Amino acid sequence: MQAGAPRPLRILLCKLGMDTHTVGITVVAHALREAGMEVIFTGLKQTPQAVASAAIQEDVDVIGVSSLSAGHTRSLPRLAQLLREQGGGDKLLVAGGVIPPEDLPLLSAAGFARVFTMGTDTRDIVAYLAKWWREKLAAEAQAR
Amino acid sequence: MSRPLDHLPLADQAANNDLAREAERWERETRAPFVSGHPERREAFLTQALRWPIKALYTPADLKACGFDYLSDLGFPGEYPYTRATQPNGHRSNFWTMTQVTGFGKGEDWARRARYMLEQGLQGLILEHDLPTTNGYDSDDPLVEGEVGRAGLAIDSLEDVERALDLPFERLRYLMSVCNAPQPVNLAMIIAALEKKQVDARKFVLHIVNGILIEYTCVGRYIYPPVHGLRIATDCIEYIIRHHPNWAPLSIISAQLQPAKANPVQELAFSMAIAMAYIDATLQRGFDIDTLAPYFHFVINVDMDFFEGICKLRAYRKVWARLMKEHYGATRPEALKIRMMTSPTTIALTLQQPLNNIGRLAIMATACALGGAGDNMTTPLHDEAHALPAEEGIRVGAALQHIVAHETGVAESIDPLAGSYYVETLTKQIESAAMAEIDKILKMGGALQAIESGYFQRALGREQYERNKDLEQGRRKWIGVNHLVQPGEQRQIEIFRADQRMEDEQIARLRALRARRDNAAVAHALEAVRRAAREGANLVPPCLAAVKVYATHGELCGALRDVFGVHTPDSQLTGV
Repeated sequence: MQAGAPRPLRILLCKLGMDTHTVGITVVAHALREAGMEVIFTGLKQTPQAVASAAIQEDVDVIGVSSLSAGHTRSLPRLAQLLREQGGGDKLLVAGGVIPPEDLPLLSAAGFARVFTMGTDTRDIVAYLAKWWREKLAAEAQAR
Repeated sequence: MSRPLDHLPLADQAANNDLAREAERWERETRAPFVSGHPERREAFLTQALRWPIKALYTPADLKACGFDYLSDLGFPGEYPYTRATQPNGHRSNFWTMTQVTGFGKGEDWARRARYMLEQGLQGLILEHDLPTTNGYDSDDPLVEGEVGRAGLAIDSLEDVERALDLPFERLRYLMSVCNAPQPVNLAMIIAALEKKQVDARKFVLHIVNGILIEYTCVGRYIYPPVHGLRIATDCIEYIIRHHPNWAPLSIISAQLQPAKANPVQELAFSMAIAMAYIDATLQRGFDIDTLAPYFHFVINVDMDFFEGICKLRAYRKVWARLMKEHYGATRPEALKIRMMTSPTTIALTLQQPLNNIGRLAIMATACALGGAGDNMTTPLHDEAHALPAEEGIRVGAALQHIVAHETGVAESIDPLAGSYYVETLTKQIESAAMAEIDKILKMGGALQAIESGYFQRALGREQYERNKDLEQGRRKWIGVNHLVQPGEQRQIEIFRADQRMEDEQIARLRALRARRDNAAVAHALEAVRRAAREGANLVPPCLAAVKVYATHGELCGALRDVFGVHTPDSQLTGV
């Protein structure tokens, strides 16, 4: 790696279960790549276990789950739990899609740092992740 | 007959030159000085989806510039190239058939709802399946927990289809079924259920969408790799034409490409290339194009850009006619006339200020009618972005089409916008760009290769991103979303919560069936399906035999998975 150039953030984007709506996740993937982040997509119809394994194997910093069917109350906490169990508890978890406000506390308690609901500007998503990444890199540098 | 404009009589040419000179003078002497004092309200005027520049004024000089010729580009209604209409009298003899897709429950619930709709005077129904069914799983598969019966009817075995089709068939004339990847299984179950109910298949039209190639392109409900998907679809087309020639074996749902943000050129080119892939595969089964072409149907959306929508519909008619004639050598008029259903798009509707959607739907339905409407028109509902459509939404949706048909007068003259300098220029531009794109796809090897290489998917992914940027950066104003936003508007999203009891009941039924049926006969029948899959025999007959001994939907799709494998596209192949 070039000295001075910070390592780009690596994010795994995924879709769980039978939910095949991909326009939102596609737009987000393009925006993140344009902002210099490394984006990996798992493909459709994944299980929480497959995503947890891929996240650990690919050594990503962030996992972003897109959910536009009502499966999020079950599959998202399950993914968070599997990650913790398998040594991926340090990764940032975010979600986006059609998620009603009353489900936000449940996802927050499960370990999701942020949920981007319908209509979120991609620039806000990029800014949120970039800030988190800057702070994480700075904390790591300080620790060294 | 094509007649290039430079062969026009000298007097006409002189007139055209005069006009061009006059137009330049007007620009210089009249418009430019005005604009310098009154700057234009936008930096660039662009069409909504194609983002093509829109000129302030179109004149006959534009028609000349794009090589427009009345006889070769338009002709007359009911005659080649059908740009003006496929029907000789447009909609003066009959309006388009007004239909509506409704959300519905599942199982016996579906039959109850269907009977209610038939009692309201509807003659046709559309059967949507839940995601486990369309993705080829039984209701008790761990992968589909929580999805059973949610987005449509849950089908595990012939018994479920029999329950769903407990209908007055003397009144039901038409049933459309949307179940693409598992199509031979779904087709077999419907045929077997109709046989058991002794329905006369000649007096009834089953229309299967059978649209697997668009699933790979953007919808995502695929199972097997694309080459096997195409073979499966072709088996169903062949079976229907040979055994049920009055049925409809395929629809190209361009209306699924449009919400995936295909622009009009991509939408027209991709759907035609996809149609050609099915046609080429079916021609190899020994049919001729004049027999085959009338079996193809299209469902096409229009979006809010009025002229892009209208011109696209006109271009669809012409491009289909040209491809059938020029590429395939079809000669029967029926083969040259596109069969289409039109619809306002749901992606123009907003969750915010939902009553505004009634206005949007009326405008888009008018665009559909001005674009020729097709054989059918269907309208989504203004509260569809919210939740399950309410009764009032259904009533308003139905009234909308009647308002367009009876009150506006747009259907009284055939193709009334023909001859508009702007409409003809844009129609011709869309047609030319689409023909060039079709050519490019054919040079790649056709739609199947364009899917296998991810070309379609990546093109749509880029389009999705760019169009979203238009919105975020304010180049496109969307009322209620980024313009005239009502601060603090209470948005009511109603998320359908799965009824666990229904899922449990469905699973209990499935397990009881597995315990009571002749499992040796099932194993034997599944092996026959695997054999047909391996050997290239038509899959419908062995599936038919298997569903009759109550092999389940998931078992049959699984048997085909054993032979074909599964499609697991990465980022390159999904466009994400």
